[in-house]
Amino acid sequence: MNRGDDRTGLPDGQVARELADAMEAHVRGVHAGPGMAGAVRDRHRTRRIWFRTAGAALVTVAIAGSVPVYLAVNAGPPSSVAGPASRTGSDSLAVAVREVTVPEVVGLSADKAVAVLEQAGLAAAVEGDGGAAGQVARQDPAAGEKVGEGRTVTLVVVEIPAERPTPTPDPSEGEDAPMPQDLGDLGDGRKFGGVEFAHLPEGLKWGEWSVKDGFGTTSYSTSWAEPGLDPGMYSVQAVVYHGDAAARTTARMRGYRDQGAEPVTIDGKRVYIVRTGEAVGRIEESGTPTAIWTERKGLVVEIMMSPDYFDRLGEREAQAEMRRIVEGVTPEK
Amino acid sequence: MTEEDEAAFDEFLAARSTALLRTAILVCGASQHDAEDLVQNALEKVYRHWSRIRHDNPDSYARRVVVNAAISVSRRRKVIREITFARPPDTPADSPDLDLRDALVAELRRLPARMRAVLVLRYWEDLSEAETAALMGCSAGTVKSQAARGLARIRERMGTREGVLG
Repeated sequence: MNRGDDRTGLPDGQVARELADAMEAHVRGVHAGPGMAGAVRDRHRTRRIWFRTAGAALVTVAIAGSVPVYLAVNAGPPSSVAGPASRTGSDSLAVAVREVTVPEVVGLSADKAVAVLEQAGLAAAVEGDGGAAGQVARQDPAAGEKVGEGRTVTLVVVEIPAERPTPTPDPSEGEDAPMPQDLGDLGDGRKFGGVEFAHLPEGLKWGEWSVKDGFGTTSYSTSWAEPGLDPGMYSVQAVVYHGDAAARTTARMRGYRDQGAEPVTIDGKRVYIVRTGEAVGRIEESGTPTAIWTERKGLVVEIMMSPDYFDRLGEREAQAEMRRIVEGVTPEK
Repeated sequence: MTEEDEAAFDEFLAARSTALLRTAILVCGASQHDAEDLVQNALEKVYRHWSRIRHDNPDSYARRVVVNAAISVSRRRKVIREITFARPPDTPADSPDLDLRDALVAELRRLPARMRAVLVLRYWEDLSEAETAALMGCSAGTVKSQAARGLARIRERMGTREGVLG
């Protein structure tokens, strides 16, 4: 190749200009669609650890005095909290639900507001960094709106500056509030809540958090993630339900059946494998892949796979992994 | 995230998402569909930290996330890309049905990802060496040498297309 000729015939500046023109021509016709914002927010929701599945159950926890757990779980940085429920299109529940009127809770303390919503048959999602004693600054949907029973009302809770009852050091001062550690160090995370997970997809590591009663009394949850995911993100999450929390899941499973889902039999377990959306109990085509079954009386296990992870594995492999995880679950002796 | 934050995020996307998408297409050499996926993913990261970064040059943050994602996607996609756009390495891009611009873009795609990113940022986005360096997390010297080597490679391969660029 005659480099000398190239150098004299084609100076860098000219190549750069021609290249710039070529690049411009290549992408000139490209425009981001109007759906970008919605798609980004959807992605944000589906990537978040699944704390909203059991919205109604969470409220029960609040009544039982465990608000701090719920708040701790949801007290991550405001930026990491799912967008307002109004954006999720969850108004159109497929399952027939009773309509209720949203009560006014602005101005109440967070725990009181959660209790009031529970009484009205609604769930609550708490955003902001006000803590359990913080004050509700905004609510969505607004007071007076008619919504389906069980609908999640998003509360933005702010700190009441004058009187913080316990001036505990604020762990959320940094960018990310710590994840709850209700069960302590779980090692590889495969044993918790009285259940053992013999199989997890290769490469997943315990997510180093756990929550007790975050999904009703008594429930346990943790997750596993691919290395390199940001804190608060999961690849696979599991919830183990006992007692009252387990009983509550049966209505959800019945709901799946009513929406046309058929349980599949895996290793003698009758498992509902569905993709669930933002609204509690609602099956949605692009929702979070979920498997839920009654392991034995009073013990229900639910496994959720992050839609991102599902896509990465590919549908076939992801489904196969779900089955393997389900097969590997055994009650601890 | 306040309502004002949400509204500001919408505004930001309206103003910037097309440019980010174009950058992603050029840097990772992917189709619009794949680039959209990548940009949505990157913007999710922006959204996650939005209330904190919105007042602190979110555009530069977003661009950094998009470029980094595009580079790593491009590395993962390398094999596929090589198959799609394959020509034996020393064959000149002289296929008569490729016009000059297509040929240039094809050559651009054959460069290593970081080198390609430097060319896109320097010559298409028209960033300075210092800006490009800050965005890519390397020194201005690296930007300078990568840009020069990238152009030289393209020039070399295109050079055999007699008189086309001359």
